[in-house]
Amino acid sequence: MSIQLQIQCHQQPDVVERILRVIRHRGFTLNTMSMAPSNCGGKIELCMTVSSPRPAHLLVTQVEKLHDVVELRCVDATSNNT
Amino acid sequence: MNGAEAIVQTLVHHGVDTVFGYPGGTIMPVYDALLDSPVEHLLCRHEQGAGFAAIGYARSSQRTGVCIATSGPGATNLITALADAMMDSVPIVAITGQVPTNAMGTDAFQEIDILGLSMACTKHSFLVTEPDMLCQTLHQAFTLANSGRPGPVLVDIPKDIQQAPASWQPPLNLVENSVHPDKAACENLHKALELMESASRPIAYIGGGVNMAHATDELRQFLQITGLPSVCTLKGLGTVTPDNGAYLGMLGMHGNRAANTAVQWCDLLIVVGARFDDRVTGKLDTFAPEAQVIHIDIDPAEVHKRRAADVVFHQPMQWVLAELSIRLSINNINKWVDHCQRLKAEHQWRYDKPGNDIYAPHLLNQLSRQLPDNAIISCDVGQHQMWVAQHMAFQHTRNHLTSGGLGTMGFGLPAAIGAAMARPDDTVTLVSGDGSFMMNVQELNTIRRRQLPIKIVLLDNQKLGMVRQWQELFYEGRYSETDLSDNPDFISLARAFGIGGRTLTHRDEVAPALDEMLSVNGPWLLHVRINAAENVWPLVPPGAANHEMLEQHP
Repeated sequence: MSIQLQIQCHQQPDVVERILRVIRHRGFTLNTMSMAPSNCGGKIELCMTVSSPRPAHLLVTQVEKLHDVVELRCVDATSNNT
Repeated sequence: MNGAEAIVQTLVHHGVDTVFGYPGGTIMPVYDALLDSPVEHLLCRHEQGAGFAAIGYARSSQRTGVCIATSGPGATNLITALADAMMDSVPIVAITGQVPTNAMGTDAFQEIDILGLSMACTKHSFLVTEPDMLCQTLHQAFTLANSGRPGPVLVDIPKDIQQAPASWQPPLNLVENSVHPDKAACENLHKALELMESASRPIAYIGGGVNMAHATDELRQFLQITGLPSVCTLKGLGTVTPDNGAYLGMLGMHGNRAANTAVQWCDLLIVVGARFDDRVTGKLDTFAPEAQVIHIDIDPAEVHKRRAADVVFHQPMQWVLAELSIRLSINNINKWVDHCQRLKAEHQWRYDKPGNDIYAPHLLNQLSRQLPDNAIISCDVGQHQMWVAQHMAFQHTRNHLTSGGLGTMGFGLPAAIGAAMARPDDTVTLVSGDGSFMMNVQELNTIRRRQLPIKIVLLDNQKLGMVRQWQELFYEGRYSETDLSDNPDFISLARAFGIGGRTLTHRDEVAPALDEMLSVNGPWLLHVRINAAENVWPLVPPGAANHEMLEQHP
């Protein structure tokens, strides 16, 4: 299953590395990624597509736990359901 | 004031009275500042020892453990302890020195990217790059280590930041991000109470999260009011006192058969601060197959991870347990409670093994009966660890220090040191095996340095016992690198560190030797020779269901 993650996080030098590590470790493959400054100061917006046979919630709850992640929205990339 | 002095003042602000560590080049300013501070530093003989000592301190006292190391190898030596704390949710703040900021990224002497290395084994890690950020970062580290699901936090501080002028700053008022009861939680309470009232075979499955949530009293009250049978995980041992008649013991791979059997056939599993660990569940799709699940855990990532739950609570455990404390209908669960008590009686541990060899489970049970209720047992990893869990009784989780999630050999000795520093009035006993003991044996000198009165029971089968057991049972007796018959003379070794001791080989020596050990003022090593062929029973074989426990060699 392919899912899209829209993540707002604090702009810290290590934040992307932490998110990518969790994606890999929890058994998901990164397919696409883009990053842009957020309208809120000091934050960035990440948009990622990841895939895995594992259910999305197993990744979402782990990424949400990261200290610098402010908000995460998960969209089923195959059906566009949020 | 410089940065190093601000660091130490921040430790004082957070009530830290003891830290464990090892100095080196990039952390020297902090060590200089420690000299003039009220914080006691205990020099361990390896940074891994310092990390485990901090864990032992934290787990035995429910305070934050602090360890300090220099950059490079000092920092990397902390990694295993951080991973251990991460797996077992222990609040640790690790402070590491780093090469000066202008040298970072140049492969300078003793430079390592500890921020990068720590990502997988900490709750969070910080690199301080501005002196102005130093105090707030440390305050954040203490808050993070203790908030939600506790865990280790690392703060990496370059040497120039430690030396730079700094002013101490109090913590900013941070908004606590805890989950409060809301309408959905109240609806969940209603569902959970319905499940409890309609269940005919309910049981509570209790993990280490109860103690971490400071909810032990509420849990005991919950069990008393509901009359529910209960089982504990390895980390949950001590949450339910052994005198609770409906308590069935530890479940899982080396659990009690009564506990495993009851869980397998229950129709409602109330999971409190536990996470369906693979060592608990055995073959997951056969675990408690008829049970509906109420899962209470502060960490949303643990819910639905390995077993879907019917009702979930992330709210403060004290509140949930208090709300669920209802007197269940005796008509509904009477037969079940009787059945569980019969199981418990049928599967009591037996200590009447014939022969003259020392039977380790019996020795540990004797020791447990002799120790005061507030005694602390620290253990290592392997067969002896499971025997401790099976045959020793604990009045509180804080009294049982064991490496549960990571299963780290070498944990026990430094963890016992940390506990002895945290609770100097309580007896601290280390139960170790000959394999584990050698992994951090250098910490015997830390015992000597501080004259800590730690009692050491070393169960010596001249084997890596648990691996040998698996080679016997599951690798057709092909024993690969599990022979430790070239062990040193442990009594001479202890004596070299100023620790007296005695070797036991026969059963009739046990009682007087335990009396002697417990009457000695100061540290003592009881070197116990046991039969190398002894296995830990019962055992759920890998890939089997928990009701398929083996009692003896198949």
